[in-house]
Amino acid sequence: MRLAYYPGCVAQESGKELDLATRWVAKKVGIELVEFPNFSCCGSGFIDEANPTLNVALNARNLAIAEKAGLDVLTVCSTCQGMLALANSRYTEPKIRERVEGALAQIGMTYSGRTHVTHLLQVLTDEIGAEAIRRQVVRPLTGLKVGAFYGCHLLRPADRLRSESAEEPHSFEDLISALGATPVFYRGRVMCCGFPILFVKEPTANRIAARQIEDAKSHGADAMATPCPLCHISLDAYQNKAEHELGHALDMPVFHLPQLVGLALGATAEELGLPRHLVSTDSALRKIGGVAVPA
Amino acid sequence: MAAATIDAPFEVYRFDPAKDPSPRYQRYSLSLPPHTPVLTALLKIRAELDPSLTLRYSCRSAICGSCAMLVNSKSRLACQTQIGPEIARHGRIVVDPMRNLPVLRDLVTEMRPFWSNYRRIEPHLIVDPERPMPVDKPTTMTPEQVARFEETPRCIACAACYSACPAVEADPAFPGPMALAKLYRFVVDPRDAATKQRLVKIQPGGLWLCLRCHLCTEACPKGVRPSERIMDLKELALQAQGATEAGSRHALAFKDNIRERGILNELRLVRQTSGYGGILAQLPQGIRLVRKKPEIRKTPKEIQGREEVEKLYEILDPEEHS
Ligand code: FES
Repeated sequence: MRLAYYPGCVAQESGKELDLATRWVAKKVGIELVEFPNFSCCGSGFIDEANPTLNVALNARNLAIAEKAGLDVLTVCSTCQGMLALANSRYTEPKIRERVEGALAQIGMTYSGRTHVTHLLQVLTDEIGAEAIRRQVVRPLTGLKVGAFYGCHLLRPADRLRSESAEEPHSFEDLISALGATPVFYRGRVMCCGFPILFVKEPTANRIAARQIEDAKSHGADAMATPCPLCHISLDAYQNKAEHELGHALDMPVFHLPQLVGLALGATAEELGLPRHLVSTDSALRKIGGVAVPA
Repeated sequence: MAAATIDAPFEVYRFDPAKDPSPRYQRYSLSLPPHTPVLTALLKIRAELDPSLTLRYSCRSAICGSCAMLVNSKSRLACQTQIGPEIARHGRIVVDPMRNLPVLRDLVTEMRPFWSNYRRIEPHLIVDPERPMPVDKPTTMTPEQVARFEETPRCIACAACYSACPAVEADPAFPGPMALAKLYRFVVDPRDAATKQRLVKIQPGGLWLCLRCHLCTEACPKGVRPSERIMDLKELALQAQGATEAGSRHALAFKDNIRERGILNELRLVRQTSGYGGILAQLPQGIRLVRKKPEIRKTPKEIQGREEVEKLYEILDPEEHS
């Protein structure tokens, strides 16, 4: 399977471990990642706030690049996934399409509106299939209870994104089961992580993150896992702030989706960039057993 | 012929603050046709099993907006939610009062916080006294003007969006999805003379606390799509006033940031949004992050074809270019 790899900004910068883990897993399960150094940022929802037409145009340019190469786009970020899919949806509105097509023409590009955008979670569960992943597991994550945290833009608005049932998704939990771990169902799994206002009103954002982590914990989760590096920032990098708002410790390891897959498929903690997390993942690694805990 | 019935185990939140030390769930076993609305089932419980069950309803037809509650933890109209799909998915039906509003008794919530947030946005036409509306003939609007508020008049003020909103839950400064969707309705009304003042007032009034999570759009039984109306409001507020708040500054800073290299410059974004003071405030956290993630300090490499991105900005974002 060949896909146009759209890593998004964060996986190339502070969330580099997501890129590391994605490459490791892609190789293992047979996804060829075709790279495009001319992909731009998806706007992360912020450009959509400031100028929605520009936001559609930036993403239509990205989608046009993949279309020209004859490839579907693979994202590893719920927000990138949402923004690219939203651009496809908005591109069907005649007024927007006219302006965006006109602008693309001026940079010598055309876009049909038909590039398919898919997230790694969907490729693993829909294309490759949880069963096929299960057969590749060499280190079952037995005994580890994992709370999936989907990230809003992978799910909603469901009609625009044509995502799986936004209210009761289960692909991530299916995958967690296939890896040998036990999925934990909790209300917060489809809620917001607070990231969009982390730099607007930090304590509020921290309280929102705290709420979801605490929810996962109270349902017995040993760890959380997310297909979105922005959620990862809220849940992992700012977990100390969430704890501060809450007034007590959470100590919740948070994996990126491909890190969890990589662990079950035999990768080392270093290969997956686990030492880069702010909240240590050691407690989860010990539960799994058979994986060297980084010094 | 009577329709086939299914077993419908209910767990209903019960709480009378005047009497009960804490809330509890009461179980009821019913057998009903799968198309039965949750509201009908609750009324049957009240009529036949437990007259003390307290709930609010009127029209039973998804019009009055009084029966919003949580059905299997989702904010919904009880009269519009059938038991069959709920049982198929969850094996039972757990009913709770709405979130983000105090419970008066059982499934009935105090609606005052919801309504006072609504009143905050002055939900009525404000007409210019210099240009009063004609009394002898109707005012006219173009189809394009009407199209801008196609969705918002459908709102039945049921508060399902308010109950579903994580920003309402975390911050009392946020007026909630319904109030903002209604605000949008007046902002785009060509008869309203207070558009600019409304937009200026709502910026510090919580507009930028919307998380874009679209949980309100998911919850809305009428397709108002509040989260998308809030996005429209943000754009209009920026056009009316520029960046005056942390939220609007962040949106504009992000847009400018991407223009420079086509890819996000993380460190620069913090400075653009919060100024050097912001960097200072973020310093302890920043040091923690940089220790684990040293690339935060580096300037990312410009994307190939950045001039194409620049051109798109020039064409579609011209005011910023001048
Ligand atoms: S009873 Fe009127 S909306 Fe449900």
